[in-house]
Amino acid sequence: MSEMANTDPEGVDGVRMTWNVWPRTKVEASKCAIPLAASIALIRSHPDIPSRLPYAPLRCKTCTSVLNPFSRVDFTAKIWICPFCYQRNHFPPHYGMISETNLPGELYPQYTTVEYALPISTNPNTFGNQTLDPNHQLQPSPVFVFVLDTCMIEEEMEFAKSALRQAIELLPDNAFVGFITFGTQVQVHELGFTEMSKVHVFRGSKEISKDQILEQLGLGAAGRKTAGIFQKGVQSGPPSSGVFRYLLPTSECEYTLNALLDELQTDQWPVPPGSRSARCTGVALSVAAGLLGACTVGTGARIIALVGGPCTEGPGTIVSKDLSDPVRSHKDLDKDAAPYFKKAVKFYDSLAKQLVSQGHVLDLFASALDQVGVAEMKVTVERTGGLVVLSESFGHSVFKDSFKRVFEDGEQSLGLCFNGTLEINCSKEIKISGIIGPCTSLEKKGPSVADSVIGEGNTISWKMCGLDKSTCLTVMFDLSTTDRSNTSAVNPQLYLQFLTSYQGSDGQLVLRVTTVTRRWVDSTISSEELVQGFDQETAAVVMARLASLKMETEETFDATRWLDRHLIRLCSKFGDYRKDDPSSFTLNPSFSLFPQFLFNLRRSQFVQVFNNSPDETAYFRMLLNRENISNAAVMIQPSLISYSFNSLPAPALLDVSSIAADRILLLDSYFSVVIFHGMTIAQWRNMGYQNQPEHQAFAQLLQAPRDDAQLIIRDRFPVPRLVVCDQHGSQARFLLAKLNPSATYNNAHEMAAGSDIIFTDDVSLQVFFEHLQRLAVQS
Amino acid sequence: MAAPVPPGASRPGDNTSPPAPNYNPNFRGFPDSLADNMQNLNLNRPPMTSNLAARPPPFGQSPAFPSSSPSPGIPGPSPPFSRPGPPPVAQLRPSVPGYGPPSSTLPLNFVPGRPTGPPTSQPMFLGSRPRPSTLLSSTGSPAAPTSGGPYPGSSLPTHPIGPPLLTPGAHPNTLTSTPLSAPQVMPPSGSSGNVMSNGPPVFSSGALSARPQFPPINSASQPPVGPNVVRTPPGPALQSQLPSSGAPQGTMPPLGSPFGVPSWRMQPQQVAPPPVPGPTQTSQMFGMPPPLPNQSMTTTISPAVGQTGAPMAGPSKIDPNQIPRPTPSSSVILHETRQGNQATIPPPATSDYIVRDTGNCSPRYMRCTINQIPFSADLLVTSGMQLALLVQPLALPHPSEEPIQVVDFGESGPVRCSRCKAYINPFMKFVDQGRRFICNFCGFTDETPRDYHCNLGPDGRRRDADERPELCRGTVEFVATKEFMVREPMPAAYFFLIDVSMNAVQTGATAAACSAISQVITDLPEGPRTMVGVATFDSTIHFYNLKRALQQPLMLIVPDVQDVYTPLETDVIVPLAECRQHLELLLESIPSMFHNNMTSESAFGAAIEAAFLAMKGSGGKLLVFQSVLPSLGIGALSAREAEGRTNTSAGEKEAHKLLQPADKAFKEMAIEFAEYQVCVDVFLTTQTYVDIASISVIPRTTGGQVYYYYPFSALSDTAKLYNDLRWNITRPQGFEAVMRVRCSQGIQVQEYYGNFCKRIPTDVDLAGIDCDKTFMVTLKHDDKLQDGSECAFQCALLYTTLFGQRRIRVITLSLPVTSMLSNLFRAADLDTQFCCFLKQAASEIPSKPLLQVREQVTNLCINALFSYRKFCATVSSSGQLILPEALKLLPLYTLALSKSIGLRNEGRIDERSFWINYVSSLSTPLAIPLVYPRMVAIHDLDSKEDHNSVIPSFLPLSSEHISNEGIYLLENGHDCSIYIGDSVSSDILQRLFGVATVDEIPTPFVLQQFDNPLSKKLNEVVNEIRQQRCSYLRLKLCKKGDPSGMSFFSYMVEDKSTGGFSYVEFLIHVHRQIQHKMTA
Repeated sequence: MSEMANTDPEGVDGVRMTWNVWPRTKVEASKCAIPLAASIALIRSHPDIPSRLPYAPLRCKTCTSVLNPFSRVDFTAKIWICPFCYQRNHFPPHYGMISETNLPGELYPQYTTVEYALPISTNPNTFGNQTLDPNHQLQPSPVFVFVLDTCMIEEEMEFAKSALRQAIELLPDNAFVGFITFGTQVQVHELGFTEMSKVHVFRGSKEISKDQILEQLGLGAAGRKTAGIFQKGVQSGPPSSGVFRYLLPTSECEYTLNALLDELQTDQWPVPPGSRSARCTGVALSVAAGLLGACTVGTGARIIALVGGPCTEGPGTIVSKDLSDPVRSHKDLDKDAAPYFKKAVKFYDSLAKQLVSQGHVLDLFASALDQVGVAEMKVTVERTGGLVVLSESFGHSVFKDSFKRVFEDGEQSLGLCFNGTLEINCSKEIKISGIIGPCTSLEKKGPSVADSVIGEGNTISWKMCGLDKSTCLTVMFDLSTTDRSNTSAVNPQLYLQFLTSYQGSDGQLVLRVTTVTRRWVDSTISSEELVQGFDQETAAVVMARLASLKMETEETFDATRWLDRHLIRLCSKFGDYRKDDPSSFTLNPSFSLFPQFLFNLRRSQFVQVFNNSPDETAYFRMLLNRENISNAAVMIQPSLISYSFNSLPAPALLDVSSIAADRILLLDSYFSVVIFHGMTIAQWRNMGYQNQPEHQAFAQLLQAPRDDAQLIIRDRFPVPRLVVCDQHGSQARFLLAKLNPSATYNNAHEMAAGSDIIFTDDVSLQVFFEHLQRLAVQS
Repeated sequence: MAAPVPPGASRPGDNTSPPAPNYNPNFRGFPDSLADNMQNLNLNRPPMTSNLAARPPPFGQSPAFPSSSPSPGIPGPSPPFSRPGPPPVAQLRPSVPGYGPPSSTLPLNFVPGRPTGPPTSQPMFLGSRPRPSTLLSSTGSPAAPTSGGPYPGSSLPTHPIGPPLLTPGAHPNTLTSTPLSAPQVMPPSGSSGNVMSNGPPVFSSGALSARPQFPPINSASQPPVGPNVVRTPPGPALQSQLPSSGAPQGTMPPLGSPFGVPSWRMQPQQVAPPPVPGPTQTSQMFGMPPPLPNQSMTTTISPAVGQTGAPMAGPSKIDPNQIPRPTPSSSVILHETRQGNQATIPPPATSDYIVRDTGNCSPRYMRCTINQIPFSADLLVTSGMQLALLVQPLALPHPSEEPIQVVDFGESGPVRCSRCKAYINPFMKFVDQGRRFICNFCGFTDETPRDYHCNLGPDGRRRDADERPELCRGTVEFVATKEFMVREPMPAAYFFLIDVSMNAVQTGATAAACSAISQVITDLPEGPRTMVGVATFDSTIHFYNLKRALQQPLMLIVPDVQDVYTPLETDVIVPLAECRQHLELLLESIPSMFHNNMTSESAFGAAIEAAFLAMKGSGGKLLVFQSVLPSLGIGALSAREAEGRTNTSAGEKEAHKLLQPADKAFKEMAIEFAEYQVCVDVFLTTQTYVDIASISVIPRTTGGQVYYYYPFSALSDTAKLYNDLRWNITRPQGFEAVMRVRCSQGIQVQEYYGNFCKRIPTDVDLAGIDCDKTFMVTLKHDDKLQDGSECAFQCALLYTTLFGQRRIRVITLSLPVTSMLSNLFRAADLDTQFCCFLKQAASEIPSKPLLQVREQVTNLCINALFSYRKFCATVSSSGQLILPEALKLLPLYTLALSKSIGLRNEGRIDERSFWINYVSSLSTPLAIPLVYPRMVAIHDLDSKEDHNSVIPSFLPLSSEHISNEGIYLLENGHDCSIYIGDSVSSDILQRLFGVATVDEIPTPFVLQQFDNPLSKKLNEVVNEIRQQRCSYLRLKLCKKGDPSGMSFFSYMVEDKSTGGFSYVEFLIHVHRQIQHKMTA
């Protein structure tokens, strides 16, 4: 299976598992060192997925799993047997026509993933019971509430404004837009007021409840009564009336918004010298959430926050206004010396709960040289399935291009969807510990809920207020403790079914059903099959996600030791060696890449957090958790391609020895893409050879990595930072930091000319391997 | 004087004819005491005189005087002085001084007039009109030395003497007591003449038979006048006496009494018609002068027959026409604050006068209830009077007065006593060749600053004293130095806060406010230091960013009315120059923008708090237009009035609780506002209960003002709103002020009353101060003063002008200290004293049952009169009600006060709260009309020609003066009612209102000018009154037979009303009380 993975590792189903063959018992599973887990790309499109089935799925009457290709069907009796619970279900009358040659889409064997287009009224998810006015037709309009920080310098403000203008232009006409600005206070702009610009101002220093916000915006119980006069006939979209004063279709408010942006000034409250601006991000977000609270449940809505600095006012504050007081670092967090941190997290946690209950998303675009509090806001963004982009400036391409991507249509589109829920059905022996990734547990209990919880657990159902094509979740499995050898004898296959319902970017309600099966093996008899079923890349990513989660949630968790221990256990179990003879150690190819992954993971920003700010760490982790396995693997272990005159572009070892004066290296570490010119190349380039006709080849050599970098950048969200640098230049650190320090100042004398060394005391991969072998073979 | 008649009979038993005799006696006795006469004359007479004078020739009297003074320059009562000519005046004054005080009304004037008779100078008479039965006020005349009053004789005779008393007993008899006039004191020569004149005039006016009587009297009286007296210092004392019950006794104390205080007495039988008729008859006697303009001159009141009018008098037989009544003087009085190095007694606050500051401050700025200071607390207590200052530091000067001079001491700042910090003033004594000076407040000796040194002249004064305003003027302004600033002087910031809730919009209040503001903006001081801001509010608060850069105003809504904040740090208040256009646009669009606002809630408290936060940085004026009861957010109020009504039992018992603020929220806010120099004015354009008791706390504490338009009508009140706002903004005013009053050793400030915030005991903080605001400062002794010395008071007001200059206005008043009770009565200042009564009563209404407050007011009056009766009028028989001349109107005002809105049982709570609040900062000149309004007939305006004044003479506030064929205008300085009888000729209606019948007059009523003399005259009159009052009176139309008519009659304070005495009854009541005390 691992070979397959190279071409299309996720396949039509978008599911990758750490083990593609499952040990039968919990005991066996635990011996495998790497937990049973699946990464699922929830709504990733794939050419092999049939077009949406225009009817509702058939569900098993006991376990509610959906009819799928693995169901046994008795065409004559018009009965199907659920592979999960073995319940026999009769087909309803409208399936009367089925036969072996006349199968509905969901029964085609190759259609393990199918999508149903649901009429809204039968929306099976938790929102299905909402009262839907038939007039509120099939296409609820999405709502976008922009929340703009105004505490920034003019220049940044202009960047942010132009980004917003562009976004508004790109929004579909039926999308509803709201606009909130904040600084010392929060201003909710009443776009529907025509006589003059009108804003509602909320104090930034005080936490206000949703009810108060509604009340104060005139959307409270009292306000609603009279709000009828504002009803603009039969409107699509957010159905609750008064809120139309604040949320208008793009087509109606584009002019107003542009005028408003033109006049918008930076926050006018004076900032005493030596102080930070008073910035009430927390209140602004809760006001935005409150405003959206006036929309009927089920309306897809995003809060798009553009934040230019740390919150210093009101709830959610992460740092005092005094500039001499630095924003908390990892060290502070470790020592519990970040006085605002816990309170802020608690605030954002409650905000997350509110947004989740409303089904709305928070997207965070943070652009500042200092931290803005992503670490605190992470919980809200992640639980609601929001996007997050961290950059240095609103003028930087990381922000500009990413922001644009959010609203763009077409192939590049992120395919933003709303109101997703995920349900998982699985064979009886399987328990679900939880999910790591951008979702929230709906706390829906079921027989397959595991005792131990990892991430969002205690449920068989999760909510993703926002999700997009690339959203991936990591489901952690456990096995039932009871011995079930008998049943497994009956059925050597295990089944997992992922039911994802969501409101598509086109407004359509969709239920996507993915059913996968894997084989049970009795690893006590032979580990051969087990070994074959190991997915090293997935395993590395899952370990990274798990380690990150534990670092965040468990105090005094030592990620390095934890990773080492697992690696050693894995190697001990699956390696070939003679006890206590390190030199005899060999590893099956199915595992051969894994130690290197872990070596890089140990050195990555996910584990070595002290090199980064808590904001960056949070940012990295959020992306790690929501990206697919391949991308996540790149985050852990960047890819390196070398370009030279003598050969085609080729992957190079992620090692300092790959640096050569006459080479160009292209490093993709996911968050940044580095084009690194060797010294000679750089000199040639500086002399302008590429501009001379006789040096076409050189020009092409220079261009090739750029083209490749653009390819990488084009498909990635957030847009990575592109660093173009030369050997020995200051920017070269972006490359050097990622390379295996096989050459350091300690052994510099051994190196060939033109190569490079890294000034570090970190162990190199070789040393790491030596130790690993030694430890793995210890008895 | 008039006395003749009355006296006689009067007293109960007395004799019949005593009258004449009596009177004479008195007069004679008094003769010396011209003063007395004067007083009497003044008070009582007025009517008479006026009659005389007026009618006939105004001069009537003057002629009389003429003898003495040739030139009657001006006709009319006042003439006296005026005529004589200013020139003489001066001289006269000296002598006069003493007298001045006495007469409540015109007194002073007279004095001058006198010139001729140098000796006697005092010719005054007061003409109060005595009512029939009543008494007369005798003025205390300072009489002559000769007379040794019972009292110590200060040089002046105290008046005490003999004012005639009225005896209750008298009733039986006719009541007509005739007052006597006191007066006439003219100098011998003139005297007779005068008297005579008086007499005659009477006729004219009243055309009553009565007059005759006077004449005689007068003549008689005159002699009495002691010319000399004049000289004597002060002392004129007045006494008016009321006969208590109806019977006046005419008897006067024998001549014996030194002064002849002329008293009024009634003589029952006297000339007069039989008792019965009494009331009615009276009128005749005097011609009820009241109406007459000229009362000033003179003199007595004769009781004479009760005129028709006084029904109530019945029992008492007092002639209502002769009871003391205010007599307006229409001519201008010239007043020098000191003469001969002595403080002069200022003219009545309500008169028209021009001041020359010759050392003491103008009485406009500061006046004392008694123009001599009792040397000990005991003496003060004995007098039954109060000692207090009324300070109106920025009062409007008369156009002919010299402006206050500004003195700049440069860096070093004004010279001050280093111990008590009193400012340099004309009474600091330089010694040691000018090298040191002694503070007149604490007595400390300071070094003269080197560059301020100046040698002393032979008279012991600094040689430069006359060139330095601070050494020769009672009022100066110093340029404040840095030392007086905690920050740069604040800009003139105006923030307008407009109610746009449903009610406000629908009643047109919002539009009216916007239009008023829009017009007023042009009146704001120009320049970069003028800042403006606007906000509106209903259940939320809407600010507007008027910054010029913006294309259109930006509306910023503050929705949290429980915990407000300002939505912008800057730009909510911006320099006027930068936002004029925006502002106009905005004001124009506000009414339409909210025209269908359905929010009926009002977050008043939150709105002002938010506006305050916006202004906190600079301070300034916050002008709030509010239309409904604040129902939401901070300081939300409940309709307690309604609750009180439904729960009557509790409501009755705790009625006054409704006049207290509902809770402390506003008070706390107000204190904070004051701290940040935000002065709040509230314009209540309402049609409902708004709980002024609670709301007014804010303006009161911040030096602001409440305006009340109830029931608001966009038609008729828009103009008033504009004018009020305009005056509010354009009147002389200051910001961020602090005021302190210092007193000489032995006296200290007890309490300040008025609109201010007080954080430390010695100072009052005024976020805003303007020319209309008056403070009462009560004083107490903490030690004995030295008789014969002077006691000084200095009010220092540190403030910032509209143009950002920091100034200290220093107002100094130095008054003689006396140990004689009689002097106190002679120097009593009626208007000021009454103003104190009024303010004290107002301040107590919210905390005491009404009945108790009324009793207290009455007792204050009685106590003073009792003291006078007991210690200064021993001679008189017990049957007479004796009134000190200076205070002879006290009973009338007291009665009026007890019937005023604030002290009435009925009436809406808000109206009473407003009244209380209005009174708290009310100036002395406006205090009198508030309780005793002016009423004039307007149906015959065009037929009367009066050269003196646009405004015709006043009518007594008694329904007997209102005829069904007439139209009357009544104004109290704040409101103006036009009453239309039910039989008014349609011609008049047509001319005045442009309609043929009363019913066609539209309501709400708006005064229009039609093209005919009557209408023009009416408009002229109204405008004149508005100008005088500095208030655009709220016109109300009252028609006979409708509730509005009833409300009009509630102003008829002399009538008997439910729960209230008629004037005559009240006098009797007072008299009984005094007698009761005497015997006790």
